[in-house]
Amino acid sequence: MEQRLANTWRMTNNEKKFIESVLASDLRVDGRRPFDYRDLTIKFGREQGLSEVQLGQTRVMSYVTSQLVQPYRDRPNEGTLSIFTEFSPMADPSFEAGRPGEFAVELGRVIDRGLRESSAMDMESLCVVVGKSVWSIRVDLHIVDNGGNLIDAANIAALVALLTFRRPDCTLGGDDGQELIMHDAEVREPLPLIIHHLPIAVTFAVFGEGNIMVIDPTHKEEMVMGGKMTFTMNSNGDICAVQKAGGVGVMSSIIMQCLQIASAKAADITSKIKHAVEIYNTERASQKANHYLLEVANQVSLSDVIMKEKQVENLIEHLAYMPLDELENSNQGDALAVDTRTKHESISQGRYTRAFVRGPANWDPYSRGISSRLATSFPTLPGPSTKVKEHNVVTSNEMTVEYTVEHTTGASSSSTRVLGAPAVRPHSKGPKSLKDAVKLRTRRKSGN
Amino acid sequence: MGAMTVDRADGRSVNQLRPLACSRNILHRAHGSARWSQGDTIVLAAVYGPKAGTKKGENPEKASIEVIWKPKTGQIGKLEKEYEMILKRTLQSICLMTIHPNTTTSIIVQVFGDDGALLPCAINASCAALVDAGIPLKHLAVAICCGLTEGGSAILDPTKAEEQKIQAFAYLVFPNSPLSILPSAPSAEVDGPIENGIITSVTHGVMPVVDYFNCLERGRAACAKISEFHRRSFESQVPGDLTKAT
Repeated sequence: MEQRLANTWRMTNNEKKFIESVLASDLRVDGRRPFDYRDLTIKFGREQGLSEVQLGQTRVMSYVTSQLVQPYRDRPNEGTLSIFTEFSPMADPSFEAGRPGEFAVELGRVIDRGLRESSAMDMESLCVVVGKSVWSIRVDLHIVDNGGNLIDAANIAALVALLTFRRPDCTLGGDDGQELIMHDAEVREPLPLIIHHLPIAVTFAVFGEGNIMVIDPTHKEEMVMGGKMTFTMNSNGDICAVQKAGGVGVMSSIIMQCLQIASAKAADITSKIKHAVEIYNTERASQKANHYLLEVANQVSLSDVIMKEKQVENLIEHLAYMPLDELENSNQGDALAVDTRTKHESISQGRYTRAFVRGPANWDPYSRGISSRLATSFPTLPGPSTKVKEHNVVTSNEMTVEYTVEHTTGASSSSTRVLGAPAVRPHSKGPKSLKDAVKLRTRRKSGN
Repeated sequence: MGAMTVDRADGRSVNQLRPLACSRNILHRAHGSARWSQGDTIVLAAVYGPKAGTKKGENPEKASIEVIWKPKTGQIGKLEKEYEMILKRTLQSICLMTIHPNTTTSIIVQVFGDDGALLPCAINASCAALVDAGIPLKHLAVAICCGLTEGGSAILDPTKAEEQKIQAFAYLVFPNSPLSILPSAPSAEVDGPIENGIITSVTHGVMPVVDYFNCLERGRAACAKISEFHRRSFESQVPGDLTKAT
């Protein structure tokens, strides 16, 4: 549609010339050196197998699911892996919904090759009954924000999701010993996938005559570049895949140089991934243990209102308890509907646990313009209860748990809270006032 | 029927919502973006502001809205198309369609987590994203899910497990009342029928008429609270990165 073409973003000549000329003096627009990566942030979802990776301004979400299927005829004892890439229209105004374009297909293929052909994943362990049922692992990659270098970010997201994914345990049983029983997560611990090594994709952008290379291009640099090369390597120094589809010709000596650099970067990123996953796993394990130990419910009844409190197990970084008291004139007089229910599952796991933060706080998406979740105590509902003949007229409305957000300073220091041991913060009983809220906030700030 | 007689799995009372969280201005390329989460249901919405041209079949004398729904996994099927259609019609009623004729505003919704009340969460996220993008709106659309248990009591904001067990539930969308900031105003004595109206109502399952009206009342009261939360989250926003590359 011509109308759509009118919406494509085009770079100005000034920008193009500036980027090219400045690269000749080894400078980049965002201040990086030619072989520096942008800041990498890895986040996990509440479910296992959900990860979100942010590489500078690029955001990719990855979700891993599994299903029992029939194996391929020529590989009856191996599971299957399939990678689906979604270039969501939210990432870039030029991405169209519907069928994946050529870049989406290329991205999917590069990641697929890196995982499959280097035998990074153990497919034979996914076999349940030879020739009849095997596990099929499906990786969905959603590109949410296109800030350049999607291949690297998507690759990391896929790896992190695969590392944290757990598939249900299943055994053969039943009357004839042929029935497949899948065990619930409660009954038997779900199993991780067996991953031998981590193939990391490192992308170089080529400028000029093929002699200027930069690593991790931003989307503006990608508009200007002459060509692109991706090397997928692991920390053992093995090359898993190389992708150079057209573009400016590059001399083999430069390619060798790039391989050296890629190898170093791959090792670096591998350690970051492993570190993040380790933190996530230990946090999850300790959450499970604490869940049964630390839950304390105190019930205090005030006239018709029930007030409950629970202890917070973990402090996820900008989680500050700040209730606001609004005593309303209601029929029930001093009804104070404050429910300090900060149940761990619903709050902290509803948001992404920040397992790993690196770099200055201005790359932290959560410190940029995040609104605070405010807690409000809601007045009782007089209206509807009179229509329905209810004896207990008082109903306490929701009480949202909130956060104050440390806009620029908090993120890096507060991340250390997460990395340390889980902190338990008991909440005092009794009506809260605005003063408490303010105090808490300053206390937190001084703690940072 | 007592309010506390229904035992909900996560310990909430019948009128209690899950914790709400809203963060805006998350994405760099999109003109407006917002992430809205209700408990474990998390939705990210992005808005690309008025683009030239309308699709075939749309009225070129008015602005048009395009909604793209992206599920977490799997192919786009009928359910996603239905959500797109409901979202589009809901947002069409709150946007000012005559300001920018012959333009298309795209709203892309990405599901990050689904634990019940997905469509209301998406509607709330889309409204927050539209505000973040600066698209002029008549009022906000505030959405809530209200379920009906076998006992006949209405529960608000059910989780997925609860949704599967209960007899019927309804997604309700109400307009944001401008008088909600007055603290002592008793419920709904606003001028005009618009403020008391329902923008959207989608029901699943069978419910008696009386219970449906009960749900409406509960839903409206809860939406007043959600819209307060909406306003507060907009007000407390530090003006983020206002320079956006297109």
